[in-house]
Amino acid sequence: MSVDLELVQRVQAGDKKAFDVLIMKYQQRIVHVITGFVHDPVEALDVAQEAFIKAYRAIPNFRGDSAFYTWLYRIAINTAKNHLTARSRRPPAVDVDAMDATNYYDAAELKEFETPESSLATDELQMVIHQAIESLPEDTATAIKLRELDGMSYEEIAQVMDCPIGTVRSRIFRARESIEQQIQETMNEGEQQ
Amino acid sequence: MTANHNELLSALVDGELQGKELELALNLIHTNDDARSQWQRFQRTSDIMHGHSLSLDNIDLTTLLSQRLSQEPIYSSASDDKTAKIFTFTKPIWKQAASLAVAASIGALAVVGVMNKPENQLIPITTQVAAVETTAAPIITAQNSKRWTVSEQDVEHRLDTYLVDHNEYTGASGVFSYARVVSYDEGQ
Repeated sequence: MSVDLELVQRVQAGDKKAFDVLIMKYQQRIVHVITGFVHDPVEALDVAQEAFIKAYRAIPNFRGDSAFYTWLYRIAINTAKNHLTARSRRPPAVDVDAMDATNYYDAAELKEFETPESSLATDELQMVIHQAIESLPEDTATAIKLRELDGMSYEEIAQVMDCPIGTVRSRIFRARESIEQQIQETMNEGEQQ
Repeated sequence: MTANHNELLSALVDGELQGKELELALNLIHTNDDARSQWQRFQRTSDIMHGHSLSLDNIDLTTLLSQRLSQEPIYSSASDDKTAKIFTFTKPIWKQAASLAVAASIGALAVVGVMNKPENQLIPITTQVAAVETTAAPIITAQNSKRWTVSEQDVEHRLDTYLVDHNEYTGASGVFSYARVVSYDEGQ
């Protein structure tokens, strides 16, 4: 059973804290998707909250026929569209299919909604991450690339790299820690300027 | 927070935890603020790498939503339990089985008794006639045939007359009136 489904079942059984974990896990992605519709970041946060509340209310009916994120994604875009309709603003003509929601590269579909500032920030971030990965030991860099860019499971990575799953887990953790450190430094530099 | 804990949180981002490890990681997130922040940072890094995040801003919807979620109901699997209770034995199984066995035995005895009883085991007609003779009132009895007969000729004749009159003067004509006359006695 996937971690998401485990968390959903906990919510259905009365564990509200499990829903907090789902919010924390998907909030960035949901806000990102909604920003593609409503543009204003503050407004996007409000709509995202509404979407999560709707998801909580609908979660007793979630049976796991689709991935949780695909289900949540549909709720999010419907909430965003309803929000625009209520304010007599047209939803964007380009819509991202919910099946693409689980794809790692679906964000490209929403690029056209980015502002020049946000686009610059995203490019800068990507560059920082790229540099951070390049500075990692080869095994660690390979592990994080296979995981984040190719979407492989730990088991698949272990087979490709011919090492135990525990080693894969450890390498990915070290890579994340290093990338996180680089991001923090970039953030600190940005605040000082 | 140990390195091992951080490694667990990193694996949780990838959905690679199960059982006790998942339990431990979730417990850390719920009880330890450092663990919670660390997990959110790992999650954000992953989101940025996938292009799911446009900025470095830390979004924490859980804080914003906490009040609204506190007003929402807590779900339980009670609705499922209701369905389950329909099929749940309220008594111990052995008691249910014993009751069922007794009921089945009584049922079987009744069936066997009916099957062994001789056909048409009605009171012999001679006995009935004798009974009629001892009483003044006319008695209608069942014979071996399925027709009903009246034991006294006088009474039978009067009944026939009433029946014919009734059918003639009732005003209701048609199949049913005729059928009544015919069905009573072929001779009428």
